[in-house]
Amino acid sequence: MHKEQGAWQAQLRFFAPAIVFISLVSLYPFFSGIVYSLKDGSLLDSGSFVGLSNFAELLRMREFWYAFYFSIGFTLFSVLGSYAAGLFLAVLLNMNIPGRGVFRVALLVPWVVSSVVSMVGWRTMIGDQTGIVNTFVQAFGFEPILFLGSEKWAVFSVILVKIWRSFPFMMVSLLAALQAIGKDLYEAAAIDGAGKWRSFVSITLPQLKTVTLVSWILMSIWSFNDFDVLWLLTGGGPLDATQNLIIMSYKYAFVKSSTGIGSALGIVSLIVLMALALILMRVQRKGE
Amino acid sequence: MKTKLVYSLTFAFLCVVSIAVNLPVITMLLNSFKTNSEIMTSSRMFPRHWTTENYVFVNEKSAFWQQFSNSLIVTGLTVALTVLIGALAGYAISRFRTALTGTFSVVLLLLQMFPFVLVMLPLFMTFRSLHLINTLTGIIIIQTSICLPVAVLMFKGFFDTIPKEIEEAAWMDGCNRWTTFTRIVMRVSGPGIAAVSIFTILLSWNDYIIANIFIKKESLMTLPIGLQMFMQQNATQWGGLTAAATLSALPVLVFLLFVQKYIAYGAVSGSVKG
Repeated sequence: MHKEQGAWQAQLRFFAPAIVFISLVSLYPFFSGIVYSLKDGSLLDSGSFVGLSNFAELLRMREFWYAFYFSIGFTLFSVLGSYAAGLFLAVLLNMNIPGRGVFRVALLVPWVVSSVVSMVGWRTMIGDQTGIVNTFVQAFGFEPILFLGSEKWAVFSVILVKIWRSFPFMMVSLLAALQAIGKDLYEAAAIDGAGKWRSFVSITLPQLKTVTLVSWILMSIWSFNDFDVLWLLTGGGPLDATQNLIIMSYKYAFVKSSTGIGSALGIVSLIVLMALALILMRVQRKGE
Repeated sequence: MKTKLVYSLTFAFLCVVSIAVNLPVITMLLNSFKTNSEIMTSSRMFPRHWTTENYVFVNEKSAFWQQFSNSLIVTGLTVALTVLIGALAGYAISRFRTALTGTFSVVLLLLQMFPFVLVMLPLFMTFRSLHLINTLTGIIIIQTSICLPVAVLMFKGFFDTIPKEIEEAAWMDGCNRWTTFTRIVMRVSGPGIAAVSIFTILLSWNDYIIANIFIKKESLMTLPIGLQMFMQQNATQWGGLTAAATLSALPVLVFLLFVQKYIAYGAVSGSVKG
């Protein structure tokens, strides 16, 4: 009995600081966020309970459904795009190419510079008609494109920029997994007469399964929760074309001071994310 | 012969991709050496007349250095706190297998899914009543807690790889859990500490959203929101903006050169083992 107690005390000594921080800054606000979503408050007044009417109002809003579908589409394309680019580059970097250390560093840059800095960079490139991309477009005889100004192109641009920012993470994770695959597997396959493509499909891809699943889940969460890229590049515009649930929630909570709707949007986001994670895990289990 | 061709093609392809991927940073860098009027009118990539006037402007007319030191303070303290607290909790999860540690790791995983807005609003209200809005302390506390779940899981993964025999030997010599941890385990945890620090440094130095909500006073701003402020206040000062952005990215890029080996470790241990 005495020994048990000692163990608990020792454990608490290690855990206490982390528990204090996480409870104060994540758990407590999370539960009061649920309370906010059931009230009709503003930034200055906590309001009174209104039950689920914030959620009911959300479901009636066209703005909500657009943001909902945009969030899903944005996440899907960002994850698939960054995975494809990351896998391709990881396979290339896994070859014995001269200077691959340099390439690896150069390809990590989009991931390590701050969102504000990279958006300054992207705006100088595609923000106006004299940017370098439009110079190319015009050199081929086309009209300059409003990458951030027209709705369709803005959707395309934010997804492209999100892939640009995300692929290095995929690349680095996959590269490390690739380097962990034993050479003997490939040698055995070569003896059995398997070609390069055949051994990629039958050896490499199955070996990457765990990393793939984990990186998909993490990247889905990060893309779905993206604020920086969308807010700094387009601010959710033009005409809310690039507004995801997070931007919408931020606008309602901090700009329009409608904390009930803002918090309700946060909770809907959390539910969608958990559903997404569950689906991905189910897919993984079926594959085994 | 055929493989040589494949290798040359791959090399050339990687050169092109590396440059293409860095174009936003390169254009930013080049624009920072152009005059404002040239940026607005010309579409040439390289400056016609190289000038350092933008850097002089940033140096003399903006709060850049003030914000630079704010960023240094915030990042430094956030890293110290995250490593300290994260290592303790990570060690506990790695070594004690009980109901408490089990629950705690599940909570950590769920926390990664939290949409920040859901948490930010109540936090904003609480911090307002605690007078922590517009303080560096406030954002240090929040950034530390945001980094902690990943840091704890990374440390747990790292400590799992340290053989228990080392510690058992120390117990024989009369150390308890605590002294074993501080004197033995932390001594051999250099790579783990490095990986967590890198992750935290990048997150804290680059953080935009937290500082954006919790700091409104210009003298207390960190670099990312300072830059955004600069963008709003000096709409025509593209030269100054790109110069300030270049200066603020420089430490990160230099940092990347030194730590790139550990980044792979961090990304993988943070994801796969988590």
